[in-house]
Amino acid sequence: MRIVVCVKEVLDPDAVGAYALAGSLVIGDDGKTLTQTTIPTLMNAYDEQAIEAALRIREAGVECTITVVSIGEDATTILRHAVALGADTVVAIPPPAPDPDCHAVSALLSAYVRSSGGADLVLCGRQASDDDQGVVPAFVAESLGVPLVDIARSVTAEDTSDPQSLRVTRVTPDGDEIVRVACPAVVTVSSELGEPRYPTMPMRMSARRVEPEVVTADELGLSGADLEIRVGTVRQTVPTVKGDCEFITGDTPADIADRLVARLVEDRVLQQK
Amino acid sequence: MTEPVVVCTFGGTSQAGQDETEAALTLGRRVGEARGGELRWLVLGSAPVELDAIARRHAVVAVDHAEDAKLDTAGPDARVEAVAQYAAETQPRLLIFNQDFDSRRIAPRIAARIGATAVMNGLGIDVAETGGLHVISAAYGGDTNVVYAPDPSRPCVVALMANAVVAEPAGGSAAPPETRSVALDLSAVEERIEVLEPARTEGPRLEDAEIVVAGGRGLGSPENFKLVETLAEALGGMAAASRPLVDEGWIDSSRQVGLTGKITRPALYLAVGVSGATQHMAGCAAAKTIVAVNTDADAAIFRHARYGIVGDCLEILPELIRAAAQMGAG
Ligand SMILES: Cc1cc2nc3c(=O)[nH]c(=O)nc-3n(C[C@H](O)[C@H](O)[C@H](O)COP(=O)(O)OP(=O)(O)OC[C@H]3O[C@@H](n4cnc5c(N)ncnc54)[C@H](O)[C@@H]3O)c2cc1C
Ligand SMILES: Nc1ncnc2c1ncn2[C@@H]1O[C@H](COP(=O)(O)O)[C@@H](O)[C@H]1O
Repeated sequence: MRIVVCVKEVLDPDAVGAYALAGSLVIGDDGKTLTQTTIPTLMNAYDEQAIEAALRIREAGVECTITVVSIGEDATTILRHAVALGADTVVAIPPPAPDPDCHAVSALLSAYVRSSGGADLVLCGRQASDDDQGVVPAFVAESLGVPLVDIARSVTAEDTSDPQSLRVTRVTPDGDEIVRVACPAVVTVSSELGEPRYPTMPMRMSARRVEPEVVTADELGLSGADLEIRVGTVRQTVPTVKGDCEFITGDTPADIADRLVARLVEDRVLQQK
Repeated sequence: MTEPVVVCTFGGTSQAGQDETEAALTLGRRVGEARGGELRWLVLGSAPVELDAIARRHAVVAVDHAEDAKLDTAGPDARVEAVAQYAAETQPRLLIFNQDFDSRRIAPRIAARIGATAVMNGLGIDVAETGGLHVISAAYGGDTNVVYAPDPSRPCVVALMANAVVAEPAGGSAAPPETRSVALDLSAVEERIEVLEPARTEGPRLEDAEIVVAGGRGLGSPENFKLVETLAEALGGMAAASRPLVDEGWIDSSRQVGLTGKITRPALYLAVGVSGATQHMAGCAAAKTIVAVNTDADAAIFRHARYGIVGDCLEILPELIRAAAQMGAG
């Protein structure tokens, strides 16, 4: 079974949140790019969990190869991390132009999957934590003509010795749903999958010098029109939240609780019975 | 029928669902007026009870009703195919969905299928001077807003976030909408995803709760989450949680509030030990009154809260439970 995992490098969302909270998030001169060099970049957390999902399939006894692919200016660091986690092959596709949109990214990813012999399973994160769009997996699935199973907490092969179909537990607003889907398929992974493993020291050491295989858009047979930006970014802004919090104080927790409840009753948020 | 703006809805019989539909129709009407394009409403599957009244309220020109037994089983493949066939016939310029769990899995696929652009997390749409659309969308969970300019030569699919647009009736007296049944052929559709065990829909929905008590990592341990449940019960509300608690398995994922959880808008949202990350606030910012209990006076949640208590939730919660019980008895 061939598994391809798509991973994106993103700015650490917690750091972005911390700067935004402090009111010091900087947008560059172009009016749209977060330029703060003090914000670390990392592998999108859901994508790390997608790798974890692939590793669990392998550990369940399915004979498989795990290829991790990323489109980004310099994906070497996150792809080495993928190797340290247990990926067999890592592939970097340099974007032909800076800031490719979801259409260009999807075109590159699906062309890669097709030209590399296809995949029985393409694993993605449910969304990238920078743009939060969650559209790339759908575009890839449509382009490959395969089903999309989204928001998985677990992905297993129905028959480990003959992995023709998958059993996927989806997280839905009404609780878990268990589905079956035939391979090939695209599955997106959610945080409910659980913590991804931490790479061992020897794995990290041996991954240190790995160079990802580089595949270009040209080699994938894609050119201008296939990769044109269809959703351009005009600008990015930081919304401000105007607080008007009234702090309730008192001598004891009981006192504070009574005052809060009294205020809420006064405001008719709570009703005295 | 020139380049209509189409709002597409399906399912959703709840009040929240109807309010969101009206928000999408409001947005669709405004865009239609600004760039010239009639507003059509595509209803997939069974129609909302108040369809006619809602359509008139928002000056919908035509209601396109797509009915097929396959659309009522909620499979994504039938829905994608239905909208794709509809789009081929109607050639919409803009297709607006209310963003929820179901639309999020079909809207981008529909966009891919019909060669449209796709923008999720929509907060609003402006018409640029050039006549093209500018779609405002939340990024980084809401820490930033991004204005996207989708290629004007293609249709655009937008998913509108809950509570982003306030519904506003068109005013004046609109003519009753033309109502049409959409001709579909879904005979070739076979759902590729087989549901082995459906999600169980039991009890009240968090989205509908008028009072929500949400616990965060500040609770310290799963045992302490019981305090949140007890308080919720004492107030006649429902217990909810931030994502880490769901990830740790303290509570079922159907109780997660936020960007990747549920969007609530209760009268009262009481958050204890929740820091107030934008990804969390995305699911509760529309609450009428937010109350926060947090040991850190600088926590982000206090920027959204009407009332704040700086203190240890383990000390405050038992007293809130007592006060709530007394209120009920008194
Ligand atoms: C793409 C993406 C999607 C996400 N989606 C969601 C989502 O849908 N929902 C969601 O909730 N999160 C989501 N998150 C995670 C989010 O960014 C935050 O990490 C999360 O909301 C933090 O949860 P928390 O407030 O419980 O924990 P923390 O941020 O750790 O905050 C704990 C708080 O408790 C306070 N505290 C500590 N001890 C006490 C005490 N004894 N009494 C009172 N207060 C105390 C602390 O001061 C702190 O403010 C998402 C993140 C990403 C990147
Ligand atoms: N540049 C990229 N390189 C590789 N995979 C990507 C890239 N962008 C998005 N993806 C995949 O698509 C998922 C959803 O991304 P998005 O649609 O941008 O929210 C991510 O979690 C990744 O699995």
